[in-house]
Amino acid sequence: MVPVTLAKSLVEICGRDGVILDEERLLVYESDALTAYRHRPGAVVLPRSTDQVQGAVRAIAEHGLPIVPRGAGTGLSGGAVALDGAVVIGTARMNRILDIDAPNRRAVLQPGVINAELSVAAGAHGLYYAPDPSSQTACTIGGNVAENSGGPHCLKYGVTSRYVTGLAVVLADGSMVRLGGQGRESPGYDLVGLFVGSEGCFGIATEIEVGLLPVPEGVCTLLGIFDRIDDAGQAVSDIVGAGLLPAALEIIDGPTIRAVEDSVFAAGYPIDAEAALVIEFDGMEAGLEHDAERAAALCALAGAREVRTARDEDERMALWKGRKKAFGAMGRIAPDLLVQDATVPRTTLPSILRGISDIGQRYDLVVANVFHAGDGNLHPNILFDRRDEHELERVERASKEIMQLCVDSGGTITGEHGVGLDKKHHMDLIYGPDELDAMWQVRRVFDPGGVMNPGKVLPEDTGPAEGAGLPEGIGGD
Amino acid sequence: MIDAGVARAGDAEGPAVVYPASVEEAAEVIRAANRTGTRLIPAGLGSWLGAGGWTGPADVIVSCERLNAVQHYEPADLTMTAGAGLGMAELDDVLRPNGQWLPVDAPGVGAGTVGGMVACGVSGALQGRYGAVRDNVLGVDVVTGAGRVLRIGGRVVKNVAGYDLVRLFTGSRGSLGIITSVSVRLFPRPEADVTLCYGGGTTEIVALARTMCTSPLPIAAVEVEAGGENGETVMVRLLGSVGEVEEVLSRLVDSVGPKPRAIVRGDESAALHRDRGAWEEGSALVVRLAALPDRLADTFGRGAALAGALGGEIAADAMSGVVRVKASPDAGRDGDVVRELSRAREEMEAAGGTMTLSQARGEVAARVGWTGGRGSDGGLGTRIKELFDPASILAARCP
Ligand SMILES: Cc1cc2nc3c(=O)[nH]c(=O)nc-3n(C[C@H](O)[C@H](O)[C@H](O)COP(=O)(O)OP(=O)(O)OC[C@H]3O[C@@H](n4cnc5c(N)ncnc54)[C@H](O)[C@@H]3O)c2cc1C
Ligand SMILES: Cc1cc2nc3c(=O)[nH]c(=O)nc-3n(C[C@H](O)[C@H](O)[C@H](O)COP(=O)(O)OP(=O)(O)OC[C@H]3O[C@@H](n4cnc5c(N)ncnc54)[C@H](O)[C@@H]3O)c2cc1C
Repeated sequence: MVPVTLAKSLVEICGRDGVILDEERLLVYESDALTAYRHRPGAVVLPRSTDQVQGAVRAIAEHGLPIVPRGAGTGLSGGAVALDGAVVIGTARMNRILDIDAPNRRAVLQPGVINAELSVAAGAHGLYYAPDPSSQTACTIGGNVAENSGGPHCLKYGVTSRYVTGLAVVLADGSMVRLGGQGRESPGYDLVGLFVGSEGCFGIATEIEVGLLPVPEGVCTLLGIFDRIDDAGQAVSDIVGAGLLPAALEIIDGPTIRAVEDSVFAAGYPIDAEAALVIEFDGMEAGLEHDAERAAALCALAGAREVRTARDEDERMALWKGRKKAFGAMGRIAPDLLVQDATVPRTTLPSILRGISDIGQRYDLVVANVFHAGDGNLHPNILFDRRDEHELERVERASKEIMQLCVDSGGTITGEHGVGLDKKHHMDLIYGPDELDAMWQVRRVFDPGGVMNPGKVLPEDTGPAEGAGLPEGIGGD
Repeated sequence: MIDAGVARAGDAEGPAVVYPASVEEAAEVIRAANRTGTRLIPAGLGSWLGAGGWTGPADVIVSCERLNAVQHYEPADLTMTAGAGLGMAELDDVLRPNGQWLPVDAPGVGAGTVGGMVACGVSGALQGRYGAVRDNVLGVDVVTGAGRVLRIGGRVVKNVAGYDLVRLFTGSRGSLGIITSVSVRLFPRPEADVTLCYGGGTTEIVALARTMCTSPLPIAAVEVEAGGENGETVMVRLLGSVGEVEEVLSRLVDSVGPKPRAIVRGDESAALHRDRGAWEEGSALVVRLAALPDRLADTFGRGAALAGALGGEIAADAMSGVVRVKASPDAGRDGDVVRELSRAREEMEAAGGTMTLSQARGEVAARVGWTGGRGSDGGLGTRIKELFDPASILAARCP
């Protein structure tokens, strides 16, 4: 519970229906899509405008409480979880598309706009918004900005940061800054780029300018079926290495295929296969067939048992179905799911996939992989039951080993889901104390008091706060 | 070798140049500078050291020329890690045999180093198709102005672990630290490269450029030139598979705009654009006007007026709405030049755009200001500069 005086001011600022104090209704906000972390917020505020966000931030700060920005809560790293009775500022009611500026191929949005809705609105102008997280019918653009989200089609088109050209941000002291905007050119440091991926720790994005792309004329989708997952990994590596630039390259492994085929989402993938590879090309009709033929040939060469080609939109949707419904299907076969998100150099995919499978076996865990193979961005899903304490411990150990394996191959611990609460204790796998300290200090430039989403991304700052001080050995003289 | 004279015009001796051969040596230089209050300028080959301008004269230039090794290149990963001092031309020599490239066509970029490219963070006309420089830098190693060695980002194409400090160093123009190594994302070299050239009067070519920019066809870049030897020209570049490029070409010729004056293919097309990279060479004054792309006619008009007054030429990247103006060293008396530039700045800003100086004589730059209105970042940029360069030993200011 938050102090009554705070509750009162929040109601004054955002209206009675814009403040949630009721314990039961607060439960809805206790976690994001990674349900392993649950903490009930002190209150939830749902402002409608930048002004209201500023007012709410000031009121909360006056009471010395931390603030957690929240979009749709589909995050997979615990980023929107409110620790220590923090107040959640949710963007659900800031969901207006402010402008679709077709001649300049850009849009200006409130942060609570749902990703897929932007593409629908832009579609009227022959445009669309390229980053397409698999959660796109639910997640918000504000959440995408905070996580620097990717999606299946980011292989060809790049991730969120490539498309964000301007931001209005409310900082921890309630002030508002405008970064970038009006297209790509703006003098000074790339503060827009720095903010993207800051996981709610730098401030609350209240207005977002993004670039749009023209809808490609044609799309061609293939599905390669493999008896060995290594071979599918090899096909990915070969396709990328051959100079083809598919829009998407996604792998669904055997356990996932079986989960999907056992569920209401059955997509017609052969259940004895060990991997399915979705390959999609887009662009001018004229070039597509040639690219598709080359990709199919490379799949065959890598050992594909079969390559299917979609002839029309219905067939295309069918080929994608197994990929898109994978998470939903897995959710049905195990009570809990831990999704990893490491990225590795693409050429290491075959050996990494084997390594992950070995780790799973060693810890007696079911690991199902469904992932953005073209980018080398893995999603090993560990299926488990949280009530079994021993299993939970094995899950934690296995997941750390998987991360270590990926880092050792030249990769990183998270490609798109963010660090949040989940991976902050693994940040030291890739960064040393100096890098972590630099990140702490940059965070303090935006939020000196540590009000915005504290306890996320960075492991606790153990060293003495050095401010802008110099490292040892400097000074004097 | 760096021409030390460029850094302190008028001073016969000029600053000293040091050439660290390792990250440790670079860090040593920075630490020594902190101890002695020496002002440094990090540099590549010094091919465009004037870019952005700096607050005061420097004592020492730190050249990254010797940090030029290819550290990691696995072609099938489409990524590369190299020392900051690797020349862009040498980089291309390594990539070409593997059918790959780094599609950065920022002005003059081919003459410099990968570190300089990242430090300047400027993108050219291909950014619409391939992303800006900042979108393709995966990681950097830097020595900050405080003497800390940071290895940030990585060499994989997707990475959201921690705050994106790579973005901060990209475009920092030597003001936060020395970039010692860079990891970039590469692309397959397109099978086909075709440029369509159109002529016409200014109004026509600007309108044609806009038509091209708003076409749903996959066009890689649209550039406009005026005031030079070739008169007014629009260049429309197509890159991709042979099938796709030929299809777009025939549709453009059949149904969009007038007949092109010339169609340039393959190596010739590539060479045309490569040569244009040196467009600014020898200019004492280079100005960059930018506004939303649909304001191209106004921005171009503004640029043309400036070029007219200074006896210069203009080139535009129509897809980004950027117009560049270059003028010869004898562009006029400082007072007149300053007046013209200040007016251009005022008009651009009034229309929501920007006017920045890429290259200018110190006197002129001091009076006009390199970047103009600092926007409303609430002092964040300045605090970031203080954070990484607390003793202000890096001569470059926050750009
Ligand atoms: C089934 C499923 C599939 C998914 N697929 C993908 C995928 O393909 N690619 C991918 O990248 N992710 C994927 N995700 C993860 C998730 O959808 C993304 O991270 C998404 O961007 C989160 O958006 P959200 O609105 O739900 O944000 P939330 O979960 O509410 O918040 C995420 C983070 O953003 C911060 N935040 C939210 N709004 C703002 C704001 N306005 N200003 C500042 N900070 C803010 C929060 O504090 C938090 O740290 C998937 C998730 C699920 C459940
Ligand atoms: C003919 C010509 C025209 C150009 N036109 C433009 C233009 O219009 N606009 C524009 O912005 N750029 C322009 N440039 C710059 C060009 O885009 C490249 O960025 C530049 O050539 C890089 O050269 P360099 O590696 O020799 O860097 P230098 O010329 O040595 O340095 C350029 C800038 O980058 C910094 N820098 C270089 N290396 C490092 C490093 N390792 N670490 C930290 N900082 C570093 C320097 O401090 C300086 O600010 C032009 C260059 C040429 C040759």
